[in-house]
This record gives sequence, C-alpha cells and structure tokens, in this order.
Amino acid sequence: MEKRRNPVQRLRRELSVAILLCSGPIVACELPPGVRIESAQLNVSYWTKPAKIAIGEPFVLELAACPKTGAPVPERVRLDAHMPEHRHGMNYKTRVVPLGTGRFHSEGWLFHMPGRWEFVFDLGTERLTHSVRVE
Amino acid sequence: MIRLLLAALLLLPGAARPQLPDFSEAETRAILRHGPWPAPWTRDPSNRVSGQPQAIELGERLFFEPRLSPSGKVLCATCHAPFRGWQDARARAFGLVEVERNTQSLMNVRYQRWFGWDGAGDSLWAQSVRPMLDLREMGGSQAHAAALVRADAELACQFQKVFGVAPPASDEAVLAGIGKALAAFQETLVSGRSPFDEFRDALSRNDLSAMKQYPEPAQRGLRIFVGRGNCSACHFGPAFSNGEFHDTGLPFFIKGGVDPGRHGGIRKLEANPLNLLGPYNDDRSGASAVKTRQVAIEHRNFGEFKTPSLRNVAQTAPYMHDGSLATLADVVRHYSEISPDRLHADGEALIRPLRLSAQESADLVAFLESLSERASALPPRQPASACR
Repeated sequence: MEKRRNPVQRLRRELSVAILLCSGPIVACELPPGVRIESAQLNVSYWTKPAKIAIGEPFVLELAACPKTGAPVPERVRLDAHMPEHRHGMNYKTRVVPLGTGRFHSEGWLFHMPGRWEFVFDLGTERLTHSVRVE
Repeated sequence: MIRLLLAALLLLPGAARPQLPDFSEAETRAILRHGPWPAPWTRDPSNRVSGQPQAIELGERLFFEPRLSPSGKVLCATCHAPFRGWQDARARAFGLVEVERNTQSLMNVRYQRWFGWDGAGDSLWAQSVRPMLDLREMGGSQAHAAALVRADAELACQFQKVFGVAPPASDEAVLAGIGKALAAFQETLVSGRSPFDEFRDALSRNDLSAMKQYPEPAQRGLRIFVGRGNCSACHFGPAFSNGEFHDTGLPFFIKGGVDPGRHGGIRKLEANPLNLLGPYNDDRSGASAVKTRQVAIEHRNFGEFKTPSLRNVAQTAPYMHDGSLATLADVVRHYSEISPDRLHADGEALIRPLRLSAQESADLVAFLESLSERASALPPRQPASACR
C-alpha cells in the first residue's frame, strides 16, 4: 500500500516534475547572439560570417529558430534575399544545411549592389523578413 | 606680423581661393568606395601556379604564341593587343572570322568574378583557353594545344618547371595547365593610378590642396556618377564593376538569332569540364566553387551582360557587349535617353533615362576620362629566357 504524502510534499513533487518537463525545451531553444526577429510562432536569431557584409563578397549566414510555445520546430527552410526597390534578388540560390536543434548553416550569399537588401527566411509555414542596408 | 600678412593676403580680392568640392557625406562615402587603387589582391586559390614567376613567364610566352591556332595566324594578342589597351579597338572581335561580341580589355582582369561578357568562365584559367577552342576565333582544339606543348622542347621544359611534371598524356589536363599559366600572366595586368585615384585619396585624407588638382568638370561628372545617375550601383568598387550581369537595353538580336547573354553563359558554364566544380580546381577548401554551384539561372538572364570595369575606359572604345557605341559620349547618350520599353519587363527596376543636359553629359564624359591611368604600371616586357 502506497504511503500517503501530506499535501505540501505532493505539491513539491508535482512542481519538480513540471520544472523538469519545462527545462528541456527552454535549454534547447536558447538563441545564440545575433539579429533577433520573430513571427507569430518563431523567435529567430541570425548572424553572418563575416559579420559585416561587403558588396560583392560571398558570405555565410547561420540561423537559429526557437518555436514559441506549442509551435513545431521548422524542418523545411528556404533562405533568400532581394532588393525591393530594385526589384531583383540575388544572382545565387543559397544552400541550407540543417545542423539540428533548429540551427541552420547556409552558403551562396552574395549581395552585388549597395543599398537596402531584405532577407526572406521561409521556416516551415512562417515567413520572416529583415532589412539591412549594405554599403 | 606674419599672421597679419597672411590675413591680409586672404582678404585681397582675387586671392587664390580653392574651388573646394562640396560633396555630401553620402557622396563622399560612395566616392571612397572606388579605391584605394591598386586594390588588394590575393592569388587565385583555384590555380596553384597563380602568382608564380615561372608560370607568369610561360603564360606570357603562350599569350604571344601563334601556333596555338592551327592556322598559325591567330594568337591571344591578336584580339588582346597590348598597344590597344589589351583589346582590339574593333566593334566586334575578329579571329579567323568576325564574332558577335566586342573584345574586352584584359587590364585588371584579375579582379573579376566571372569571365567573358556572359560569364561562361568561372575562372581566369578556364576562360583563357576558350578562344583556342572556338572555330571562329583561334580554331584549335585541346588535342592541338596539348600536342604543341608536348612537342615543343621549350614549352615542354617550361611546363615541367611550372607544374613539376612533364605535359601529361591527357589533352584536357595539358589544356588546364595552359590556361593556368595564361591566367598567371594576365593577373599581372594591372592599370596604373588615374587622376580620379589622386582625387579620391586626397578626399580620404581631406587634403584640399590636392583635391583642387582634379578638374571641375570631372568633379561634377563624379557627382552624377555616384548620385543622380546611380551608375555606381553596377560600376561599383575600386575596379568600377560589381562583377555581375545586367540588361542595358541594347538589342540582343544578332545575325541568325539572339545573343542569350548571361542565360547562355550559365548553360556553357555548367557544361564546361574545366569549371570550378571539376577535377582541375586546385582549391581543396571548396570555397572558390560555391559561386558555380549556387549560381541561379532565371528568365531575366536573357540579354544580360557583365558590367565592365571602367578603369582606362577612354582607351577601350568602342563600347558595350556588341561594340555598338563608338564613343563615351555615345554611351552617356544611351543612358540619358534610354527607353524603359527596351528593358526586360520582368527585369530589374534600375535603369531609367537620366535626361542629362549637354553640360551634364560632357561632365560625365570628363569624369570617365579621368579614370585612365597617368602612366602604365606594367614592367617592360623582358625577352624570354631559354628553359634549362
């Protein structure tokens, strides 16, 4: 026969279980430092290598996505950029390599003109955009 | 006392007061992006003999070697003549017969990302052998070029010194070696400093006295170039080219069809066994091949051609990919009066008629002329030494 616990002990045990259940996702979804953007379902951090984008020089972009409560981790990812005022995109298509736990590495980036570029990140069903001015 | 005298001199009517340029901060930033010159450069990682003196010597010998053409009459220097700014001053190139495109100067070619008007070459060495294999240009073949290098004692000896092995049995491998030596030579072709460079550097150090030496029409033309004309969007950076491809509203109909421009260039690039995705790329990191693997082909690429460098542009008439504009004034008029109807409907929204006045057009030409080197930076050619 199971020994009965007093209500305080029971509450402490249930709280411990709840904390354990919550702590996994929170640790997995810590976003590395970078440019923070968000959509309805995702928090995202991205950064480039080198950090300063130079016109006509290739660069790498890495991205980490952290689903908000209840949202799925994105599996299908498409990363691109364009110049809205010029009505053109890049002359290259990026190649995205998933690194696991919502992190992605991408190459093939090259901005060939100065001005405003808009990153377009399609992560699952979510689209996130972010503008940068490159000179 | 001296101070008083100086103050009096400044107050004298007609005292030499410099006509100082009043470029805004944004204009100044845009101007400074066109330098310094010469721009830094690192050897080509895809070419293991890039920058090597022996490869440069072999490349120079091959550049002036007429036997690479089976006719014995056409050499690289036929179209890329050193005394004509490393081009041929013709509207369209003429090797064995006339082709559809203008010969581009080889000056500063080492700074390019893609090679040829359509960018069919992803390395200078792959591009360098293309005319040899074109029946209309040098009319040769890889078997012909390889046989020459194997059979000629001097060339075979130099090949061995450069690559550490005798010319191999594979014609394609010898051809790749020929291309790499030719590229090493062409990488040495860098233009000297121009009046614009002196002005740009003076601006960067705020040296008003040196800035004053730059003619006022060129200053006004420069302002149009980086400002209202938006020319520097494509003619970007120290080499005055962003290295990419654009529709400039020229007709692309040619005898018997159309010139597909960049679209055809990407198709040729994909089919070229010497491209950077192939076995002759010496860059083991793979970084140099990313552009080739990731290049996108789109419908708008039809009729797009590479942005040419503007350094020494006054020495390389006629202009545009088809050589259809005879003078710099014609080029400026083209962009001043261009009809948007002549541009791709699904293309970039970049080019619009500039509607320049006669004075503004003349100023823009004055600026373009100021991009010519004051003196050649190239060392005098040395007679080739015998290979031992």
